[in-house]
Amino acid sequence: MTLPPERDASGRFIKPEEEAPKPSDEHTHPMSKLFFGWVESPRTPFLLLLIVVLISVGLIVADVFIDRHEYKYTAFAESTGFYAFWGFAAFAIAVLSGWPLGKLLRRDEDYYGEADTKPQDVESDS
Amino acid sequence: MSGLLGQINPGLLLVAVGFIGCLIPIQRVRQALMVATPVVAILMLALAERSTDLATASVLGIDLILYRVDSLSFIFGLAFLIASFLNAIYALHTDDRLQDGMALAYAGAAVSATFAGDLMTLFIFWEITAVSSVFLILRAGTKAAYQAAMRYLGVQIFSGVLLLNGLGYVYKSTGSLSLDAFTSFDQPGAKFIFIAFAIKAAFPFLHNWLQDAYPKATVVGAVVLSAFTTKLAVYAFARMFPGFEVLIWIGAVMTVFPVFFAVIENDLRKVLSYSLNNQLGFMICAIGIGTPLALNGAAAHAFAHIIYKGLLFMSMGAVLYRVGTAKASELGGLYKSMPWTTIFCIIGAVSISAFPLFSGFVAKAMTMGAVATEGYVIVWLMLLFASAGVLEHSGIKIPYFTFFGHDSGIRVKEAPFNMLLAMGMAAFICIAIGLPAIGGFGYGWLYDMLPCTVTAPADVCMISGDEIKTYKPYTVDHILTQMQLLMLAVLAFMLLKRFGLYPPERPGTILDTDWVLRKPGFGLFKWAGTVWGKAGPAMTGFAGRIGARTFEQIEATFSPRGALARGGLTNSMAMWSAVLLGVVMLIVLLAS
Repeated sequence: MTLPPERDASGRFIKPEEEAPKPSDEHTHPMSKLFFGWVESPRTPFLLLLIVVLISVGLIVADVFIDRHEYKYTAFAESTGFYAFWGFAAFAIAVLSGWPLGKLLRRDEDYYGEADTKPQDVESDS
Repeated sequence: MSGLLGQINPGLLLVAVGFIGCLIPIQRVRQALMVATPVVAILMLALAERSTDLATASVLGIDLILYRVDSLSFIFGLAFLIASFLNAIYALHTDDRLQDGMALAYAGAAVSATFAGDLMTLFIFWEITAVSSVFLILRAGTKAAYQAAMRYLGVQIFSGVLLLNGLGYVYKSTGSLSLDAFTSFDQPGAKFIFIAFAIKAAFPFLHNWLQDAYPKATVVGAVVLSAFTTKLAVYAFARMFPGFEVLIWIGAVMTVFPVFFAVIENDLRKVLSYSLNNQLGFMICAIGIGTPLALNGAAAHAFAHIIYKGLLFMSMGAVLYRVGTAKASELGGLYKSMPWTTIFCIIGAVSISAFPLFSGFVAKAMTMGAVATEGYVIVWLMLLFASAGVLEHSGIKIPYFTFFGHDSGIRVKEAPFNMLLAMGMAAFICIAIGLPAIGGFGYGWLYDMLPCTVTAPADVCMISGDEIKTYKPYTVDHILTQMQLLMLAVLAFMLLKRFGLYPPERPGTILDTDWVLRKPGFGLFKWAGTVWGKAGPAMTGFAGRIGARTFEQIEATFSPRGALARGGLTNSMAMWSAVLLGVVMLIVLLAS
């Protein structure tokens, strides 16, 4: 692994952010700030995680107090947090299986000789 | 006037206007027709009397029922007509005569097939859906699309041939072409018709035409395709195979396996195609259960699905239209330039994930309830797994990797207004039929249209012998369990992403069962072709030489210039004739 050079040819330090300039916000839609301005805040990922954790805990705690009635054959699902466990496990299994499956099944984009699938009714300037 | 309008199959109107539309060169006139026709068709459907043969015809001594509405066909037909209206609006920015016309004719064929009262009429429109829809793929104009379109057409026509074969058996054994439900596979024609439907419903191992063709269609084409063919097959299954236990297991497998493919697929329109497969699984499973609750579940799911899947395809189409690609590895951060599309996509995503207040919640619940009531515990767990899987690929992957995630730096214009309008209307329906019933608003509107209602149940509702009950989706139990399933799955996503365990989106082709046909199968044909190309001339040469030599010998003996003719009519000739005559007479004498 090679580290990027810290100085340019004239010996000045290169700041990392200068190498990859941020995309211009010239074409940013005016409504995007209103709808999704909060997405850009650096605290958002942590806050979102916190909210989801709190809701999840709340749902499981509520399950202790609410007396659920399942169908006769699926009475085992009445145990507290069954759906929570199943949802978490199912999602994790589906996603994690992507690693070996990707290795097993992924081939080159042009494997069938049809890499170009851009239909003709897309905008011409794109 | 209303009497006449109520007696014409609205699908026929769509087919006719669709074919005429292909000939109208003026864009605005044509498009006005494309938008107005589904509206007129919906009015016609509203006027139609239920459970009577509204239009009949007699062709070659076979009585055809061209138009018959009952509560099962009504909900499917109405969903098709609404989809066709939304699709026409979504296509307004394009000027493509063939695509406009064929999209309407395709929708019309699906509607006509839904309201067909006999197998022959169903077959005719079954084939028209195949032939008209192929143009939506061909118009993409790429080599890949052309080849996929040919494969698609082959598969669809084959399904039609099987259906024709099956209906032949039915007609021979019963003397009628009625659409009454089969009771066992031993009935003549049942297996053929089952496989014909199975192909169009994209059963496991027969599914690849869908993931092959839909993502290669045009921007508009993929949206149109997503609505009709597969749901027509679901309708046909509900009509003719309700309560067949094998469907329960096939459906359950169908819900689970596409989840794994959708995780690793990079082309987001292909992810949606796998997701489509997974959703069909829920409907097929419900039809296999066959109780009134389950059939209601299948119909409600089909209705909700046609709208939210269309919405998701529309949003990915809008991205593809502006950016030029729908590959997850190249997208990201598009919320900055396409905020409205983002909002509509999210509404589609939460609807398909079955969050409370959205259409998927009120629709899928009935299927889950029916499966649990009948005691199929493993199937129930599989469906529950698949519900988390839907959240993964359609609920999170589609919106997250397109509009959020890593900022790709792509800045484009927001989608054209007509696309936003179509998406907005679809999003409205997703919410309107998902809300709790307050003052006649909300899911009650959808539930009133279901096939198995107390007031006007369809014939198929009586087969299981179960009582028809009204279902209430908004119970504390149901909201709590569904929210647990979904929120913990969302938590799993966040944790996997945070710890770098989420597989990155990478370009590539994912192998599926079509590999067998497209690599070894194609190779085999190619090899056979090469061998024939080499061996053929040698073999024909060999056979030709033998043939030529034999001919020469025969000619040399028997022709007017041949050996036997030489020397004129001689004594030996007369002698030989007499001997031959004698031998023949002797044989006759001995044999008699």
